[in-house]
Amino acid sequence: MKKLFFIGLKDLKIIFRDRAALIFMLLAPFLLTLGLGFVTGHFSGGSASGLSDIPVVLVNLDQAQLGDALVDLFQSEDLSTLLEPSEADSPEAAYRFVDEDQAAAAIIIPAGFSASVIPGEGALAAQNYSPDPLKIEVYANPSSPTSAGVIKSIVDEFISRVEEGRIQGTLRVLSISGVENMPPEQVQALARALFENGEFDDETASSAAIVLKKENQGPAAVEFDPLAYMAPGMALMFLMYTVSYGGRSILAERAQGTLPRLMISPTSATQILGGKVFGIFLTGVAQMGILILASALFFGVRWGDPLGMLVLILASVFGATGWGLLLTALSRSKAQVSNLGTAIMLIFGILGGTFIDLSQMPPFVRLISRITPNAWGLDGFTTLALGGGLPQLAGPITALLGMGALLFGISAVIFRRSDAMKS
Amino acid sequence: MKKIFAIIWKDAVVRFTSPWELMFFIVLPLVFTFLLAGGTGNGQADPRIRLLVVDEAGSPVSAQILSELGKSTAVWPEVLTRPEGQAQFDERRAAALLIVPAGLDWSALQAGRAEVELLQQPNNLNALVAERAISTALRQVSAASAAASQAVQLRAEQAPFASQAEKQAYFDESLAAARRLQAETPERVTVRTANTPDRVEYDPRANSSAGQLVTWVFIPLFGISGMFAYERQQGTLRRLLSSPTSKATFLLGTISGQVLFALLQMLLLILFGKLALHLEWGRDLPGLALILFSAALAAAALGTAMGTFIKTESQAGGLSIMFGMVMALLGGCWYPLELFPAFVRTIVHILPTTWAMQGLLDLVLRGRGLVDILPEAAVLLGFALVFFAIGVWRFRFE
Amino acid sequence: MPAILEVHDLVKNYGDFTAVNGVSFDIQQGEIFSLLGPNGAGKTTTISILSTLYQATSGDATIAGYSLKKEPTAVRRAIGVVPQEIALYEDLTARENLDFWGQMYGLGGKQLSARVDEILEQIGLTEKARQRVRTYSGGMKRRVNIGVGLLHKPQLLFMDEPTVGIDPQSRRAILDTVQELNRQGMTVLYTTHYMEEAAELSNRVGIIDHGQLIALGTQAELTRQVGQTETLLLHIAENDDPQALAAALTGLEGVLQAQASDHVIRVITPSAEDVLASVVSAANERGIKIRSIDIREPNLEAVFLHLTGRALRD
Repeated sequence: MKKLFFIGLKDLKIIFRDRAALIFMLLAPFLLTLGLGFVTGHFSGGSASGLSDIPVVLVNLDQAQLGDALVDLFQSEDLSTLLEPSEADSPEAAYRFVDEDQAAAAIIIPAGFSASVIPGEGALAAQNYSPDPLKIEVYANPSSPTSAGVIKSIVDEFISRVEEGRIQGTLRVLSISGVENMPPEQVQALARALFENGEFDDETASSAAIVLKKENQGPAAVEFDPLAYMAPGMALMFLMYTVSYGGRSILAERAQGTLPRLMISPTSATQILGGKVFGIFLTGVAQMGILILASALFFGVRWGDPLGMLVLILASVFGATGWGLLLTALSRSKAQVSNLGTAIMLIFGILGGTFIDLSQMPPFVRLISRITPNAWGLDGFTTLALGGGLPQLAGPITALLGMGALLFGISAVIFRRSDAMKS
Repeated sequence: MKKIFAIIWKDAVVRFTSPWELMFFIVLPLVFTFLLAGGTGNGQADPRIRLLVVDEAGSPVSAQILSELGKSTAVWPEVLTRPEGQAQFDERRAAALLIVPAGLDWSALQAGRAEVELLQQPNNLNALVAERAISTALRQVSAASAAASQAVQLRAEQAPFASQAEKQAYFDESLAAARRLQAETPERVTVRTANTPDRVEYDPRANSSAGQLVTWVFIPLFGISGMFAYERQQGTLRRLLSSPTSKATFLLGTISGQVLFALLQMLLLILFGKLALHLEWGRDLPGLALILFSAALAAAALGTAMGTFIKTESQAGGLSIMFGMVMALLGGCWYPLELFPAFVRTIVHILPTTWAMQGLLDLVLRGRGLVDILPEAAVLLGFALVFFAIGVWRFRFE
Repeated sequence: MPAILEVHDLVKNYGDFTAVNGVSFDIQQGEIFSLLGPNGAGKTTTISILSTLYQATSGDATIAGYSLKKEPTAVRRAIGVVPQEIALYEDLTARENLDFWGQMYGLGGKQLSARVDEILEQIGLTEKARQRVRTYSGGMKRRVNIGVGLLHKPQLLFMDEPTVGIDPQSRRAILDTVQELNRQGMTVLYTTHYMEEAAELSNRVGIIDHGQLIALGTQAELTRQVGQTETLLLHIAENDDPQALAAALTGLEGVLQAQASDHVIRVITPSAEDVLASVVSAANERGIKIRSIDIREPNLEAVFLHLTGRALRD
């Protein structure tokens, strides 16, 4: 048992002296997490996405109440961090801004837009009134789909409020007794007055609205930090590199003659293999520990339950070590392990959900993703970041331990058959 | 010139000796492109986000909510039973789950007791989009009832209702009128995507494939640094430089070989995207060829410059994957640059990946042509020139 | 015979360290010239400068009439280089390696393939030419390594310690190859730290130490410098102190020089027979057991010892 420990410790020392390995184990995931921190807006105000100061160009050809209201909305204090509005004189000028990638979208409010919504002179024939379909144009920049989407949704919301006001106004007019007998001019004036009063009368509207009750997974009180997903995602991905590096070291010891030398020392094959595996495991735990600690220190990710965290790290590394061992058992040379290892690292990385949203994937992809320690580990870290503790982690941890045990067993059988430890 | 061909041939044999190289050359890029393009082999798939809906109310109101959701451009509702929906959500198979509880009808709405429940996956952009779509739908449904309620109130002020039945009848009548008005509402917003004059439907998935293309072509080209390390370790570099073959010829041969492989790789990926995923790669083939060629040259030159200070093959392997991934991420190959803070967006223009991506998006998403991407191509060629010069200058055989 | 290589006052500095310090010599067409010296003496640096890999700090050389400084490309065409380490693409076959390197020397077409056939024949690998170099034994790799240097029929062949770290059999084969090449008219610059190799192969030898050429000439000329001396090699037991004995022997009458390394003491004397008795008794007095005694005729080893006071293989 002591020998096993020494072999493991020796391997840990060796890997922490290999600069190339350290680049991969620690620097790469750290830098990628940093980059993702930018994407998720972690360093720019902490909103759910990094969107801020979206450049948008407004062209108000309407110059009447609705056009002005929309421009005011875009220039309002509430939206000042999200948007960076500017105005242009002509649609052509605005299009040019978008075409040159200077703006995420242009909004063209056509002349007469207000009049087309609010019944104009002589246009109101009570129920038969049919408005002239003048449209606000959103000219979207295809290379900023998200920003353009945000702008469109703001315009949509504005229009839907306008519609609410219009419908309310019209209904009120209709509810006035004797409206059927009024002269059209009077009805019109009444409608207009009512519309203008009721336009943004949200109070009555909201009292009868359907309330949307939101529930995140886990306690709703915890604000979820996207980096709590990204940082372990990256760490788990590069953990796969570490375990394949460890596997490589078994084959390297054979090539450089230290394995035969160990074999003729009074140390059993089981102890040697056990020691190597322990070394891989130790290295993986050190790597995960450092990266998770770094995410807390540098990115301010709050990780909650430390005991849960520790057990989750141990389980994740155990599962990943199983894969590293299988890889080694199946490989003939060092080069093969490192190639296979890098490939598996990347494939598991993407399948585990580090880069993509698995929920959008076809069922077979979601099913395959379950063979990766990445997917289970990420589930666990997400739970943890949302305030879950050890009891909530039972699922992922069991899966990871089971995965590790199964892979250890398979590898042991292959090792025994192929006599990999001899020669 | 003959020497350059000899070098290219030698590199090809050395590189593809191991079948693993094919894995990195084509298999992994294909897997990534496939998964990131949404994992569908079908260009006609509904691009909207799947929203799970559990309708326990079964009332006209819930029906209307569903019909409003069906009109959404962002989501498509899939109605399930509660256990089914909950199970799918727990397995993360959908971004959001909407539960319409029993008893949600007009009277509940009138009484202000109407509530629906939304479950969202954490850190999920799609879940946020779904939330917005649901809010819009709910607003539409509520608006009619709110307007009707107001009308009832107004009427009551003028002439009190004789009975509850009369009041209800008036409400129903007003609601019907409001919904009629709603239905008659014309589209007031039109969205036009910039610069697609021929109305080609540009597929947003082409965006992620373009990003993958850049990533997977840059990583092996950075690997040129590893080839130099290999030649140094084998001693062949030393031998080469004592032959009457100049440093520049050798570097040129090595780089042009790798660029050639990269172009082949890109061609395969583009064909895969076009044939299997039905992705649109723009109409301007000369433009596409130019931007890809310039990008490959820039990456190769960068790999050469890296090769002057990297000592071992394994260092080169690690560093090229790391630089490749970091540059791809920051260059907007994985997530659109719009998501980055403004100062980062400015800084990343020092990366060749940013320019390559910008050029590709101009072609693929904006339907631009050869002339429009000349600036990007020029910048990339500039990168190539600078780093090639650094490579030649700093190049050592040991 | 005309000189094919003339080296004039070659100097190479690395910061404060002088690796090559004013080396001058020439090589005549058709001869084998050896640069003999211990590890780190400056042999490889010199050969690297001559094969245009390093720039000399000062001094120049002409090879086949071309200046090293002014016409490096012409120099490269004139020389063939066999590097110390095997410098081949292990993933290519022997033929592919030879083809590639031939192209790098500007050969091509039928001329190249004919030449590759010749070389394969010469190094005895015609039948295995289609196997990857990776699968070869160490000796076979060495042969291909030499073959690459011969492809373009160089006027002068540089061989940098080609026998380091290989088995006696392969070493013998390489020495035979060098002699065979020389018989066919190849001029060779050979570096080594094995005295026997230099003695066996070369017409002339340059002895180099600490970056300086300390002796130059034919073997006969060099050994004459030492005078009419013989070398007595005393092998002593492992636990005895050779330094003490060497010091004691230095004072003996008839002993010119005594020098200890490992468990061997080298005694230089005008006549071995005359001093033998007193050497043995000096050892006995100190209780040092002599295991065996060799008497050597004057050789390059003695020359080096004479000039530097150190053995060649320190």
